[in-house]
This record gives sequence, structure tokens and C-alpha cells, in this order.
Amino acid sequence: MHRAKALRISPVGVRGIVGPGLTVTHALDFAAAFGTLLATDGPVLIGRDPRSSGQMLLPAAVSALLACGRDVIDLGIVSTPVLQHSIRRLNAAGGISLGASHNAAEWNALKFLGPGGTYLASSEAGELLDIYHLKKFDFVEWNHIGKLSKSTDALKTYLDELAEVFDFEKLRHFRIVVDCCNGTSSTILERVRDRFHWPLILINSRLEGKAFAHEPETSARMVGSQLGPLIQPLGADAGFLFDADADRIACATAQGEALSEELILPLVADGQLARMPGRIVLTNLSTTALVDEVARQRGGEVVRVPVGRQAAIDALSGYLPDQIAVAGEGTGAVMLPQFRFVYDGIAAMLMILTIMADRGQALHEIVAGFPKYEMLKGEVPLKQMRIPQLYSELREAFGQEGRANTLDGLRVDWHDHWFHVRVSQTEPLVRVICESRGEAPQALFDGLMEQVRRLA
Amino acid sequence: MSKREHLLKIGVSGIRGVVGGFLTPGLACEFAQAFGTYVDKGRVVLGRDTRTSGEMLENAVTAGLLAAGCEVIQVGVLPTPTIQMYVAAIGAAGGIALTASHNPPEYNALKLFNHAGLFFNHYERAELLDLYHQSDFYQATNEEMRGVQVHSARPMALHLERVLKHIDADLIRSRRFRVALDGVNGAGSEMSVHFLRDVLGCELHAMSVDPTQIFPREAEPRPDTLGELAALVRREGCQIGFGQDPDGDRLAVCDETGVVIDNDDVLALVADAALERVEGDVVVNLTTSSVIDAVAQRHGRRVFRTPVGEANVVEGMQSVHTAIGGEGSNGGVIFPAVHLCRDSYTGMAFLLNRLASSPGTVSERVAALPAFHRRGSKVKFEHGRLGPLMQSLEAAYPDAECNRSDGLKLSFADGWIHVRASNTEPLLRIAAEATTVARAEQLQSAVEALLTAR
Repeated sequence: MHRAKALRISPVGVRGIVGPGLTVTHALDFAAAFGTLLATDGPVLIGRDPRSSGQMLLPAAVSALLACGRDVIDLGIVSTPVLQHSIRRLNAAGGISLGASHNAAEWNALKFLGPGGTYLASSEAGELLDIYHLKKFDFVEWNHIGKLSKSTDALKTYLDELAEVFDFEKLRHFRIVVDCCNGTSSTILERVRDRFHWPLILINSRLEGKAFAHEPETSARMVGSQLGPLIQPLGADAGFLFDADADRIACATAQGEALSEELILPLVADGQLARMPGRIVLTNLSTTALVDEVARQRGGEVVRVPVGRQAAIDALSGYLPDQIAVAGEGTGAVMLPQFRFVYDGIAAMLMILTIMADRGQALHEIVAGFPKYEMLKGEVPLKQMRIPQLYSELREAFGQEGRANTLDGLRVDWHDHWFHVRVSQTEPLVRVICESRGEAPQALFDGLMEQVRRLA
Repeated sequence: MSKREHLLKIGVSGIRGVVGGFLTPGLACEFAQAFGTYVDKGRVVLGRDTRTSGEMLENAVTAGLLAAGCEVIQVGVLPTPTIQMYVAAIGAAGGIALTASHNPPEYNALKLFNHAGLFFNHYERAELLDLYHQSDFYQATNEEMRGVQVHSARPMALHLERVLKHIDADLIRSRRFRVALDGVNGAGSEMSVHFLRDVLGCELHAMSVDPTQIFPREAEPRPDTLGELAALVRREGCQIGFGQDPDGDRLAVCDETGVVIDNDDVLALVADAALERVEGDVVVNLTTSSVIDAVAQRHGRRVFRTPVGEANVVEGMQSVHTAIGGEGSNGGVIFPAVHLCRDSYTGMAFLLNRLASSPGTVSERVAALPAFHRRGSKVKFEHGRLGPLMQSLEAAYPDAECNRSDGLKLSFADGWIHVRASNTEPLLRIAAEATTVARAEQLQSAVEALLTAR
């Protein structure tokens, strides 16, 4: 069981604890499978977060891609969104991002990106996995092997694109503290600081391979650990916390109060819908109902899909980009159509600041304008695997007058509260979430947990 | 035997094969991880020749070494001897050179060195191979992960400094020799141009010294592959021409008339120069020409013979006080005062020093060596027949002096026969040498008839 928890190979990619779980061979074979899968011409881009194991995984992936006849451009230590932007700008065939995002330093992962920098659709991801398992790779003859080059101008063009969407002249008057968690956001924000003359205050900005200043998790708890207490003494307008590869954020008010990560999506949705009324907010079944209320006020619509990035990516492919206001989840990860649906923490931060600037309101004032929702979350280890029985009994016991949704586990909605019980995709756990407008639904939560413990 | 066998060989000499479907990045990475496990998380020097697969394998091997918890010192494109010396110089735990030496461009290989910068000996190789087959490699965690350092200029400088200690560079510079060079676009291309032109002040006429291009000729420097070098020597009126192989360990030499000299004579000329400067005996393989005996005798030194193969010669050199060693037949000069490895730079330096310090052209010096005539051929044999064949051969020459350390060598007063099985194919290689052409031909045809008789 210990080993099983150290490695996860799924259509989303491969992720694990380096050494006991994720090995150099996984990286090499997965990259070879990716090189075999790619249909379009062009180079493959590669980048990594600062984890020390990235130094080992990167050349492994590079060697496999070169052996498949692909030219490889190494962008060095860059965030996943920057890599995705570069794939599109350079017309590359795809890319591999090495980094374990919000996981602890001993983890690492390979994420595969298609042409245009998009995440792989489920069908492509499934094919990648098939090639990986078959281990039949298209290695080329000696005179067709690819060449490796390095590029350092990815950040510059990324900043060019940010400047097209955001008004830095306006935003640079905010006094902001950012906790970079020793990750890739620091390299971007240092450039933003210099180029737009914006005196951002960065903490934990040194790239670190082995020991992050704290867990790279974007949660209210983590905001409270170092960032929150600094904001008032520094007289800042807001504080932001990034994970190691800068694709998600958490934030805090000028008073140093950490906001729930659940508030990031409603905030960004509010700002986006004000500019693009009537569009769709795409999120998953576990996200706060606040987003429905925000969307309703702005004349938008919420579409909910199963939990996980892959479901969001597949759902997005069914819409035109100009139908969508924002796509995101309750973890603080959001994608904007202006940035071709890439989870991008920098863009999310700039969008929240833009809302503050446009309304002339402080962050706590904007949040205070939202109705109050209270969410309770729990998890129960999966032992008996009597999942169908669990769902039907829960529905019987708790879902009598509610509206049931069985797209991903069981979600039941009433007019002012809801619950969602599902089996995790990443760990052997049953997750229980319930939320209510006003007071926390403690009785419902306790009842659910008891039932789940009995049957999970 | 299927053809496939020769496209990939994992054995005691390391791992060598055709890139593409055979020598894959995965194999290289695993082998490197086994090596990294064997050297127990130490520093490992990694360099390569100019093959198109070099960069790909460099990445695979770097990943495998890091995964085993090693620190990787990348030295980039450099001759094999330069890499070997650097391993010892910085006190690394080992080294890997990515080169298939004189093999065609579709091949590549991992050459493995121990902490002293020497080829793995028999025991080290066997132990590593066991580790590889057990697949129980060390898997370093993020916490244990060490990094990559790039050392670019130091290795070359160190190698050339060592060579220069043994020659009179000022004297060579004062002569402004006209020298031709064929670098086969190999790992030595830039270093050789720098050494001959900038360091030794030669008027250099160089061809195929672009490391970004593929090999323009067959990679092994032999008389039949060095036609262009010979033409260059004649066209530019050069006093000497040098031909290297892709990883700069082998050296072929062309005289001022455009004749590519026999490799045994090159070894003899270099040995003659070396023995003049340093004490010690000579160690060569069993198949090296007797011309070396004549040269050693002139200096009052002994000649020791070892089985064929650089690692064997080096092992032999370590067990006696050796001034110089080598393998005549394949153009390798090993001068231990520089390093215990084949080194074309030592060869070039000694030959130029000799030209500068005493009168006579290259062709005149070759002519002054005692003449031996060599004949060779290959015959197939059936598995299981090797023993009886060797016994019948020995029985046919009861008066010969017999050496069984690598196949069978039978020595006579006026010549010798050496028969050994190939390591890679069911073939017997026959070499015969004598003081006259007639005797060499007679020995060779008699042996061949005996070995092919039913």
C-alpha cells in the first residue's frame, strides 16, 4: 500500500514521489510514448519547476524526445502557463511540463501538452497511456535524431501577452505582497516588477529544489502561515500565495485575513461576467454554490462537470471560446478565455486586482458584498468499496426532496444547501462536501460522515 | 547466428549498438543508472564524441546517473583520452565516454572508466554487468538529488599540459612544420587544430575538423580510408599528415610522399622517441609486429605481450615498469607518463618532436626500421570445433614457441603466426608475420589450409 501511494499513472499523466515511486525510467518511457503519439510537425518544448528531481527527469524526457526525432527546446525553470504560451507562439508540436504543482517537494510529475499548449483530451491521453504500456516507441535512425536547444525569451513574450489583457499602468499602484513558495512565480513576478515598474513585495522568492519554505498548497491555512501576518505591517492592499508551478493561487485581504480558496473562482467569475455578460462559468460539482449566485446576478450560467482537470478540458472542447467567461475549480485554479484556457495563477491574481481597481473597492469589501456560504469538507478512507450501495443509501437517507445529480458520485441540491459525496480519483478516499447559505450544515455533515464511514 | 546480435551488444566491454531500435535512450539510461549505483553516488565525468546520437545519449546517461544519486560533470565533446585523464585529475568516482570509437556513424557505445580514468578491468566489468542484470538500481529521492556541472575548458588544457611536459615545444615551434590533419569531424577536431596550429606553431592544413558535421569518411583511420589526407599532404607539400578516429584515441600517420604508414611502424617510431626520453619496458599485444622488438632492443629494453584489447594492454602495463605500450595493429599509442590510455595527441607530439630533434624525413625514418611482412585473413569455424582446430595447429608446428594467452601464437626464428577467435562472431582471425614476403605468405596459407581442412 505504501508503494501504491507513491506513484499514480493516469490519463492526466504520471505523478509520484521521486525514488520510491516516480523513477527516471517512467519519465523516459512516458516522453518516448509522447514523442510517438505526436502527430504534428514541430519542436517539443520542455520546462520544469525548481524541484531538484527536475534536473534528472528533464534530461530523461529530452533524450526520449530526441530519439523520436523531435527537436527539443528547453525553457529551463518556467511555470506551466508560460510553457503553454510558448508552445502556441512557437507553433510547437507540444510540450512537457515537469513539476508537482501543489504537492510537497519530494513529489514530481510529467504533464503533457498538445499543440497550442492545450492539455490533452481524454482520447489522446488514453492513447498516450496505451503506447506507454506497449513500450513500442518510434525511435528514428541515427541521421534523423533531434537536436536540443535552450531558450530564455519565453518570459518576455508571456509578459507581452499579459500586457495586452491587463492594464499594468493602473494595477501597479497596488501595494501587493506575494508568497512565491520558492516556485516559478518568482521569476515571472521579478520580471513584472522590473518591466512595469511595479514595486511588488515578494517573499520566499528564491527558487528552491529541496525544501520549500512551507507546503506549496494554496489554502487559507497556508496563507495564514507566513503571508497573512505580513500584510498589515507592510501596509499592503492584498496578499497572494502561489503553488510551486504558479498555476493556482490563494489570497488575503489588506487586513491580513486569508480568504477561502473557494472564493477565487466566484471573484474571477464576477469580474469576467461584468465584462462579458451572459457567458458560461464552467466548474465542477464540488465547487461552492456562491458561484451560481454570482453568475445569476450577472446574467451568466454555471455548467458543472465531474471533478478533475480532465473533465473540465473535455467539457471546454464543446464550447466556443467566446461562450465561456471562466473555467475553474474550488482549489484556486482558474482558466480564462483570454489565455486560451490554461490554469494560470498570475492571470488570476491580475484579474482580481483589476476588479479591485475597476470598482475602487478593497478585497474585503468585494467579498463582503457576497452572500455568506459555509462549507464543510471531510474524507473517509475507502475500505469495503461498496460504492453503489453507499450512493443509493445516501440518496434514500438524505436526498428525499432534493435534486440528485449522479454525474460524479452523488450530489444533492436543495434551494439553500447541497452535498456531494464521491470517490477521489487520486487517493483511496471518499470525499464528503456539504455547503449551506448562512450557517454551516453541521447536522447534515455529521449524518453523512457517519453513513459514509459505515459503508465506504 | 542472427544478424540482430551485432546490432546490440551488452557485455563485458559495456554496451554498444546501432542507434534507433537497438541502442535506445532507455537502455543507455538504465546502464548509466547501474554504473551510478556501482560507483555509489560519486561524481561521474561524462563526455562524448560528435555522433548525431551523442546529445540524445548524453541526456539519457545524465538522467540515469542523477537518478542513482551521482553528481554529473559534463565535459561535452572531447577525445576519449582527454575524458579519461580528467576523471583521474578531479578525483571523480568514474567516467563515461559516449563513443563507438572507429565504428560507423549509426553505432554508439558507452565506454566506462574507473576512478583512475582507466577502462574497467575484467572484475569491474563483470560486477557492473551483474548489477545491470539484477535491475536493482539505487533510486535517489528529491532530497538526495545532486546536480550537473559543466566543465568546458579545463579538461583540454589539462590534457595538453601533460603532453607538453614530455616534448620540447619551443623546438617544434621553431621548425614551423607543414602538417596535414584529417579530424574525421570527430571529437578531437577543435582540440587538434588548437594543439597543432596554436600550441606547436605548425603551418596546419586541416580537413574534416567541423564537429557539427557527420563523418565524411569511414571512421577507422587506415590507408584505404585516408586517401584524401594523402592527397592533401601531396598538394600542400606537408612534412607529415595525421588522421584521427572519431574519439581521438587512434592515430594514423601519412609520410611526406603521401603514403599512409603501417600502424605498427607508427607505434615503433613513437616508441623509439619515447624510449629515448624515459626509462622502462614496452608492453604490446600479441598481434603487434616484431618491429617493436627491434626498436626496444636498440634501447636495451624488454617487450612484454598481452592479449588483444586496450584494457588488457593497460593491465599488462600496470604490472611492469613500462615506458610505453600500445596495440600496433589498430593505431594506439599508450604513454603512461601522460595517462594509461590510447592517445593520439601523445603520438603526434612525439613524432613532431622527433622530426624536430633529428634529421630525416618521415619516409626515411620508416625505411630505417627493420622490415617485417604481414599477411592476415579470417576463416569461419563451427561452434565446438575451436579446441580441436587449435590443437591440430599446435601439433603441426612442434618446434615453435607457443603462447596460449589469447588464442594461439606460434613464434619461429623468422616469423610468427597468431590465431584468435573474434569476440563477436564465429570467426578466426589469422595473422602471420615474417622477415620475407614469401615466408609470411607461406605461413598464412598453411595455417588457413589447416584450419579449413575437413
